[in-house]
Amino acid sequence: MQALNNLTTQIAGMVLDRMKQRDQSFWLVFSPILSVILGLLGSGLMMLLLGQNPITVYYNLFRYAFRDIYNIADIFAKSTPLILTGLAFGFAFRASLFNIGAQGQFYVGALAAVVCALHLEGAPPILALLACFLASATAGGLWAAFIGYTKARFNANEFLVSMMSTYIAIAIMNFLIRGPLKEAKGEYPQTDVIPANTWLPPLIPHTRLHWGFLLAVAVALIAYFILWKTTLGYKIRVVGHNQVAARYAGINTKRIFVIVFSISGAFAGLAGFTEINGMQHMLIEGFNPQIGAEGIGIAILGNAHPIGILLAALLFGALKVGGNLITQTSEIPASIIGIIEGFVMLAVILSYYLQNKIRTWRSKKALKSREGVTL
Amino acid sequence: MNIFTGLLGSALRMSTPLMLGALAEVFVERTGVMNIAIEGIFLIGAWAGFVGAYLSGNLLVGFLAAAIIGMAYGAVYGLITVKFKQHQIVTGTAMNILALGLTSYLYRVLFGAPLLPLTVEPLMDLPIPMLSKIPLIGKALFSQNALTYLAILLMPVGYWVLFRTRVGLIIRSTGENPEAVDAAGINVERVRFLAVLASSALDGVAGAFYSIGFLGMFTSGIIGGRGWIAFALCFLGNWNPVGVMLGALIFGLADALSVVFLTSGIKIVPHEFLIALPYILTIIATISRRRFNVPAYLGKPYVKESG
Amino acid sequence: MNTQSGVKAVELRGITKYFPGVIANNNVDLDLNWGEVLALLGENGAGKTTLMNILYGLYAPDAGEIYINGALASIRSPQDAMRYGIGMIHQHFTLVPVHSVVENVMLGGKAQRRGPMRVEDVAREIEELGNRYGLEVDPFAIVGQLPVGVQQRVEILKALYRGARVLIMDEPTAVLTPQETRKLFRFIREFKEKGNAVIFISHKLAEVMEIADRITVLRDGKVVGTLSRTQASERRLAYMMVGRELKTPTRTRQKRSGRKILEVKDLVVKGDRGNLAVDHLSLEICQGEIFGIAGVSGNGQEELAEAICGLRQIEGGKVILDGQEITNANPLTIIKAGVGYIPSDRRREGLVLDMSVEENVILRRYFNPEISNHGIIHRRAVHTQATKLVQEFKIKTPSLATKTKALSGGNQQKLVVAREYITGSKVLIAVQPTRGLDVGAAEYVQTMLSRASAEGKAILLISTELAEILALSDRIGVIYRGKLLEIIDRAKATVEKIGLLMAGIRGERNAGVE
Repeated sequence: MQALNNLTTQIAGMVLDRMKQRDQSFWLVFSPILSVILGLLGSGLMMLLLGQNPITVYYNLFRYAFRDIYNIADIFAKSTPLILTGLAFGFAFRASLFNIGAQGQFYVGALAAVVCALHLEGAPPILALLACFLASATAGGLWAAFIGYTKARFNANEFLVSMMSTYIAIAIMNFLIRGPLKEAKGEYPQTDVIPANTWLPPLIPHTRLHWGFLLAVAVALIAYFILWKTTLGYKIRVVGHNQVAARYAGINTKRIFVIVFSISGAFAGLAGFTEINGMQHMLIEGFNPQIGAEGIGIAILGNAHPIGILLAALLFGALKVGGNLITQTSEIPASIIGIIEGFVMLAVILSYYLQNKIRTWRSKKALKSREGVTL
Repeated sequence: MNIFTGLLGSALRMSTPLMLGALAEVFVERTGVMNIAIEGIFLIGAWAGFVGAYLSGNLLVGFLAAAIIGMAYGAVYGLITVKFKQHQIVTGTAMNILALGLTSYLYRVLFGAPLLPLTVEPLMDLPIPMLSKIPLIGKALFSQNALTYLAILLMPVGYWVLFRTRVGLIIRSTGENPEAVDAAGINVERVRFLAVLASSALDGVAGAFYSIGFLGMFTSGIIGGRGWIAFALCFLGNWNPVGVMLGALIFGLADALSVVFLTSGIKIVPHEFLIALPYILTIIATISRRRFNVPAYLGKPYVKESG
Repeated sequence: MNTQSGVKAVELRGITKYFPGVIANNNVDLDLNWGEVLALLGENGAGKTTLMNILYGLYAPDAGEIYINGALASIRSPQDAMRYGIGMIHQHFTLVPVHSVVENVMLGGKAQRRGPMRVEDVAREIEELGNRYGLEVDPFAIVGQLPVGVQQRVEILKALYRGARVLIMDEPTAVLTPQETRKLFRFIREFKEKGNAVIFISHKLAEVMEIADRITVLRDGKVVGTLSRTQASERRLAYMMVGRELKTPTRTRQKRSGRKILEVKDLVVKGDRGNLAVDHLSLEICQGEIFGIAGVSGNGQEELAEAICGLRQIEGGKVILDGQEITNANPLTIIKAGVGYIPSDRRREGLVLDMSVEENVILRRYFNPEISNHGIIHRRAVHTQATKLVQEFKIKTPSLATKTKALSGGNQQKLVVAREYITGSKVLIAVQPTRGLDVGAAEYVQTMLSRASAEGKAILLISTELAEILALSDRIGVIYRGKLLEIIDRAKATVEKIGLLMAGIRGERNAGVE
């Protein structure tokens, strides 16, 4: 086992020695691509179990994916809420805080958006959309601010509190959907369709891609700006790296907790806005149930950096659209999507490990050759 | 059977997997590792248990399968977090997402998509001869299934192992100061990895309880966050098997209550509120408890050779 | 149990160890005889601890062999080391604070014993060992609640319980009062006279001269030489340690004049365990003056510094900065008022190691108008300031964007000192400013402090290194259990007097006391 370990490391090290020049940026681009390939490989093996030929499946997938603009536009549409939930986790992660409650904040934001929209029939679209936007961001932000407050005031474990808050949000949403907000027809646990003036207009006609995507990109840029160009962002990052030093630098860490969670929750709440007003146009019980967890995966894949998250979300969007196409064009069930996502994430994690190993090995090698010691 | 007995019995039953999962989490967290993949392993256990029981016709085979496959799944988590020292929350989340996809997919691989869900006969109650005749509590306490009896016995055993044996001392010391353990010549990584394995096996069995111990079938939503409740219970029970047992009973009771209210049609509070009750309780408990005995090195990978 | 003369207890041959970016041990040869105390002397970072960690099985060497009692030994883990009878007392105790003494001893198991371990048996044996060697301790006490000197005893008992005949001690006196050091030395002498052996790691020349039979000096991972005690002198050892003559920093003494910049009146501060860390302490520092506080660590110095900077709650008394009261003000206000703080733990408290040098330069000054405006940071201004600072203070770094953790300890501390020099326009509080630094960096820091006082800043210097206090201070206060026992003028201070005060023994009042 140890020998195999060493061998792999050596081979990988040799490959990398060639690319020594642009080492950092090389890995930044190369490793996600490698991880996706590994993830697809692993999922391909799973397909064999169902007696399907993965090569055929993937080939069909690519054929259908780029057949027309609809699927490509769908990738951006699907990635829109993922960008936002990814930003939610990633932003909090910069402060070393774990916001596991993005799913709940998403639902709360969606609730606020749908309630707002249902009451704004007839209003000018710009105002209606603005109102829903503000409502969802505020709702998500406040819902998450509570978590930050419990951490600041009671030193509560935010991992647990945020996780529990999701289930409470789900309960609230279910209660409302089955009761006061239930559609007029009364058949299914969902709301009525929101009026047309509250719909986010499409970016590309005859596709599902809507203006929400641009909003998500804008939010990513804003997150970047906050983190690296403002004193608030500086304080957040210091708190994230070293809380003790932050205190000694006069930073009010408790206030930062609340602020970070509020912003994080607002991002997740906005995801609800984009889904309700841009995609679904109504609130269906239990929709997008994995969007919070996927956001975590995306944030990791993107190294908790807004630009990385943007790209990672597009990747996941592509995986989703691709996964859906696979289920439509072959006998493979939808659960393959979760498998692909899981494998890709694990591949990314393993690549981090390998990177570190290689770095250490090369450093030792450099030292030995410098000192001329033979072993 | 009156309401009280039914409720008590139901509470014990519902708390069984929580007790097992939380005890498992106590042991692993005492060594400093959080098993974030707990929800996924519960699901894997539920799936493996059902598959094992269905294909062999024997529930015991099912539970064994759940333990072994759960342990195997946990081994991957252990390898990545303990040996490769990667982030526990990130790895756990990945494995939870993967578990959802894998279990659904592999169920389909094995059984296709039948119109009616496949079922097995779940665990039967094993009444203890004389004790179960005791009025009021007899039927609830002493007419349970085998796994519940096991879980109840396991808790004091777990307490004894953790606090009165050398193994328990090593486990506790690893979470409090791995350097002390290292300096004593004990391999910290091995202790942690074994703890992950053991807890994953137990988590698998706990998950299997839902599919073959209670419902008699497998669906992808069968765990529905209860693995996380077990996780929270470890915390709320202060990393102590006794505290965990109490917590599990309380949550089992809340679970049982919500079922009672739902089936009897009584509507004092909205049904959803009762479902949310365990989670609200968790938050309240997290806030109100000021001094927790968190293992000092919980969540921190042990890095030995630092430059 | 071989104590034949001629067979060495321990021999290390050609030991080499690499870490990323550094060669910690380079072809080291070392030997230890039975019945002797060998001192391993060297600066911080010379490779002493690494070498001993290899002997104790915590690290695997990249090259070299170990011989115990003349035979080749394979030591791959502390368990192997213990089987060979080697025990190690680390600089940072490897104890579990929340467990009892017995539980801590039981953790290591029974290297030379058989049969089950029962708490009562272990406790009894701990008492026996304690009595035999003068290391009494209550077996059922909770380790975290014991004073540091007693914790060290537990560490020693752990090793003795497992039958250690070679004891490695890594900087054992760093946390002890002079009294406790005496006791430790007594134990070491008794231990070696029974035929055992001790390796004593230290960077303190005086102690080494007192306790060691032979002294091996390490520098930059290599052995410089080995002397017997009779051959050695402090000056010669210092030369071997550093490679050049040691320069004691000099300072023109300031006359006490000018206005009071920092006044502490009757201060009461609680420690982490609810105890009284600072007990009605008063002092004042004038412009341009360096006030040194000497004392064994753990007597309230750090709590005092934290309280002044607003990082710890003040329960009673006042702190006044240049006429303005800052008692319990929030840390940001105090920073803005002109207080610079060089904390004792630079890696944890003074720097954010994962951030760049540039970003650490603005750590306590990000709100300054030239750096940020309406919450937006001016990157160019930051860059300019950082460049200036790095040049002026000669901080060695590959670039401003380099992560601070890549800097050497000395340069990290220079960064902290440089930053606080600028931040502390009126007062500079320095706690253990030269801890863990090599001689060059230490000299530099001390020079900076002198310069700061020459520029009129009031300086509070807190240090456990008596030499440093004596070299720099104008007045010296000795802190003991939260009180300043005496304040002495530098001219009237002697090592003996201060040493006694550090142990809590008050002398007669003399004319220099303020």
